[in-house]
Amino acid sequence: MIASKFMVAQPQTCRLDEQAGEVFKRMRSLGLRLMPAIDAGGTVKGVLSTLSLLGHIVPDYIVSGDLDAISYAPDFGLLRKHYDIVSNWMVADIIDTQYLSVGPNESLLSVAAALIGSGRHEYALVVETDGGLLGIISAGDILGLLAQMANDRQNDV
Amino acid sequence: MSEAVVRHSVIFGLDPLWLAVSILLLVYAFVMFEKFNRAVLSLLGAGMMILGGILTQEQAIAGVDFNTIGLLTGMMVIVAISQKTGMFQYVAIRAVKAVKGRPWGVLVMLATVTAVFSAFLDNVTTVLLIAPVTLLITDALGVRPYPYLFSQILASNIGGTATLIGDPPNIMIGSAAHLSFYDFMANLMPIIPVVFLVSLLFIWLMFGRDMKASVESRQLIMAFNENEAIKNVGLLKKCLFVLTLVIFGFTVSHSFHIEPASIAMSGAALLLLMQTWGESLKDKDHAFEGIMTNVEWTTIFFFVGLFIVVTGVEHTGAIAWLAHQTLAMTDGNFNATVGAILWISALASALIDNIPFVATMIPMIHDMGPSFGGANALQPLWWALALGACLGGNGSLIGASANLIVAGLAQRAGHPIAFMTYLKHAFGLMLVTIVIAHLYIYLRYLF
Repeated sequence: MIASKFMVAQPQTCRLDEQAGEVFKRMRSLGLRLMPAIDAGGTVKGVLSTLSLLGHIVPDYIVSGDLDAISYAPDFGLLRKHYDIVSNWMVADIIDTQYLSVGPNESLLSVAAALIGSGRHEYALVVETDGGLLGIISAGDILGLLAQMANDRQNDV
Repeated sequence: MSEAVVRHSVIFGLDPLWLAVSILLLVYAFVMFEKFNRAVLSLLGAGMMILGGILTQEQAIAGVDFNTIGLLTGMMVIVAISQKTGMFQYVAIRAVKAVKGRPWGVLVMLATVTAVFSAFLDNVTTVLLIAPVTLLITDALGVRPYPYLFSQILASNIGGTATLIGDPPNIMIGSAAHLSFYDFMANLMPIIPVVFLVSLLFIWLMFGRDMKASVESRQLIMAFNENEAIKNVGLLKKCLFVLTLVIFGFTVSHSFHIEPASIAMSGAALLLLMQTWGESLKDKDHAFEGIMTNVEWTTIFFFVGLFIVVTGVEHTGAIAWLAHQTLAMTDGNFNATVGAILWISALASALIDNIPFVATMIPMIHDMGPSFGGANALQPLWWALALGACLGGNGSLIGASANLIVAGLAQRAGHPIAFMTYLKHAFGLMLVTIVIAHLYIYLRYLF
């Protein structure tokens, strides 16, 4: 089976010039953890995910481990202050530009292998050679497909 | 002046003076380039001094100043245990809350805390504890961290100048010249507040006037709960008890002819005993091993190797020659020699590691003793060396270890400090502090 047959076609996307906070609200209302970000020509430029957003909210001096136990700091106030700042940024300033992409003719096995390969990705974008977005495939989609096939076979028996 | 004392054969029949000086310069150069571990370099240099035939093993071991080594190690153990209590973060937060989160007040308070801690702890440990909290505080305040980190670099080197235990060069000078903790307090402490306040004035002129923070940001500072910073109240009490004993010991040790290393090592042993009192042997061993990993063994072994390298150079008569040349340059004028030591130390320390520099200067100053009427007359030279070497470290980002540590923390936090930016702000300021130091020495000892 090839990627274009089991991908989620025409996924929800966001534009590079949208405010990150607005896109995040949309993601929450749709129950999504990520959205591909596309330019005016429909070419994928990156992915806005909950992790990429959180990565800009948590300060680098905490992530680096130079300051670990900070139970004395008003962490909620600090994070909220950062969220207020970051939510006003453009999507282009926050997106992960490193993402996994596969061609529409990749096999199920090679997409699954790519997902669990170096870096372990939760999803892969299915893109055309010119960068146009066709769909998205997550690890859950592949497992869901396999579970569905097993179920169908059981019903047939 | 001392004569060359290399009596045995040197490898390949080489000139001992040139071989020893070449080894010293090679160690200097490789330490500067920071491509290899500096302890390894100094130990290699020490090995070459012995294997090359310049020193016997007995002479090499005799050249190691175990008073410096013991004092450094003892204080490192005490600090390693104390930093687990969270008391440094507690003090920093209390200080910034005392000025109600006003940006300039926060800078002054954090710089003051850094200076005071640096006077009694080593500078690297102080900035490792204070700079990350500073990043957190400036983040909450919504201000640029650079002026705060810049002031802390200066404060750590200025504060460290004040006492015998504040900076490794002072430990080396104190040990070599038999100067007590009290001598340092009496001779260097009076000028340090002046140097510190003048530095703050310049920092205010450079950055202070533009510092602003919103009411919400200042409220966030006031929401910090310093009591939460204290992780272990029992251990804190033990640390404060031992630290008080050790500092008191330093102030009276000279009267009882006890070296500071004995005080520091005894204090370290007492705190190691107290911190795990009542626990099982396995836990005690585990805690001991944990503390030992926090001791900066690189610095300790760097000192061991360096003492041997410098002893080797001293044995060849090279340092006596250098002392003679310096005296010739100043026409044997004491005032000019003091000035030369101060300024050369400051400029050299801004560019190279001040530890090997001071290690080389110590025997050179000793060799000047007979020309100036004996060891007792040399005190202004020792103070000039201490002030020059410690304050000179502020001149550039590579001038002192603490500077590089702060730069590394800032880089990881996404606020890199550019070498030239720091140089532009710091070098002139360092020269101003040396002018103040020169005036002080002149008025107090030479006028």
